[in-house]
Amino acid sequence: MEKTRRNRFLLLWLCVSAALLAGSLALPDAGHSESIGAAMRDAVLHETNKISLFGLMDVNPSLISAMSVTAVLLIAALLIRVLVIPRFTYVPGRLQLLLEQAVGTFRGMARENSPRRCGFLGAYIFAAAAYIFFGTLFELFGFQAVTTQGHSMALPAPLADINAAIMLGVLSYFVIVSGAIAGHGIRGIGGALKEISLLLSLSLRLFGALLSGLLVTELVYYYSALSYALPVVVAVLFTLLHALIQSYVLTMLTSLFYGELHGEE
Amino acid sequence: MNIPLNIDWQQILLHLFNFSLLAGGLYLLLYRPVKRFMDEREAHYRAAKDEAETLTAQAEKLRSEYGEKLAAAEADIARRISEADLELEQYRAQEVEKARQEADKIITRARENALRERAEIIAEAKKDLTEAAAAAAEKIALGDAGDPYEQFLSLVERGSGDEPAK
Repeated sequence: MEKTRRNRFLLLWLCVSAALLAGSLALPDAGHSESIGAAMRDAVLHETNKISLFGLMDVNPSLISAMSVTAVLLIAALLIRVLVIPRFTYVPGRLQLLLEQAVGTFRGMARENSPRRCGFLGAYIFAAAAYIFFGTLFELFGFQAVTTQGHSMALPAPLADINAAIMLGVLSYFVIVSGAIAGHGIRGIGGALKEISLLLSLSLRLFGALLSGLLVTELVYYYSALSYALPVVVAVLFTLLHALIQSYVLTMLTSLFYGELHGEE
Repeated sequence: MNIPLNIDWQQILLHLFNFSLLAGGLYLLLYRPVKRFMDEREAHYRAAKDEAETLTAQAEKLRSEYGEKLAAAEADIARRISEADLELEQYRAQEVEKARQEADKIITRARENALRERAEIIAEAKKDLTEAAAAAAEKIALGDAGDPYEQFLSLVERGSGDEPAK
């Protein structure tokens, strides 16, 4: 009985997939509004495709993505705060364990690298990790937005925009500087200035990593022949790896340098 | 100023504003409450651990005290046993001495009784011997005639039979 049901499901699934494939190949190509070069240049520079921010100004699509991610995360956090956290028990359930693991990981990382002053650092790297992780996963959903030129485009990851990467890199650097000042006073600035290259490395590392993923995805989706099966690996797995690796790298570097410049051994 | 790579200060600030909202919100809504709960739980279990350690220390102290008391009690018991043994030994010696004295008294008394009885027996035996000797002498002296009174009576009886008629 169970085997028959499974075979029926497999048959139905294959038929639907074959029908979708035939349909997508049979339909005429709508054509590209821009060349691959232009598309990839725009993915890097965001010069062409802008999105209106509530009619106030035209902004890069990544800013819309960032705001969407922020809104979703804050709503989720609010729901968790109201519905889940008051029901926390000393023996945690699955969701509680997940939340405690998330908080505990970054708190532990901060405490490990800067035992004497880890409160602010823990909160910062927790927020940064959430921003990078969920921001990177955001591009998987492929939410569509309409540009000021009337084109439809999938919203990219926030950090695929160099402005967002610069913001996070510079902010992380200033967090590190604040740790140096907290540890050594004004003299700490001297130590922090020795690590000025962090400004570039943190920013460009984020931007480069996220952008490479975006470009590969952009390239794959540009050609319809590559749009079958390949995105499962390219988009989903690479994006998941990006999300994890970049979250870990930035938070680890920030807490490491924070602890080092703060004066921890 | 045309900055390469389409770097836009305004958008950087907008991203910063967006991130500060996210960081502040996540801190207030998620990070701090979860951290506080974890701290509370840690404090709870630490207090329980401290309490358990205090109780263990108290129990250990009590055990030590009771051990000392037990050792003292055992020493006391041993001392008392020793004293009791000594007292018992003394008592036993006294009793033995008393028994010995009693036995001596009994023996002395028995010896005296025996001597007295011996003397009495000897006296009685002497008396019996004397009587026996007297009887034997009498018997020898009188011969077979027997008792003179008896002989008289016999003669009287015999004479009344032989007397002539008048």
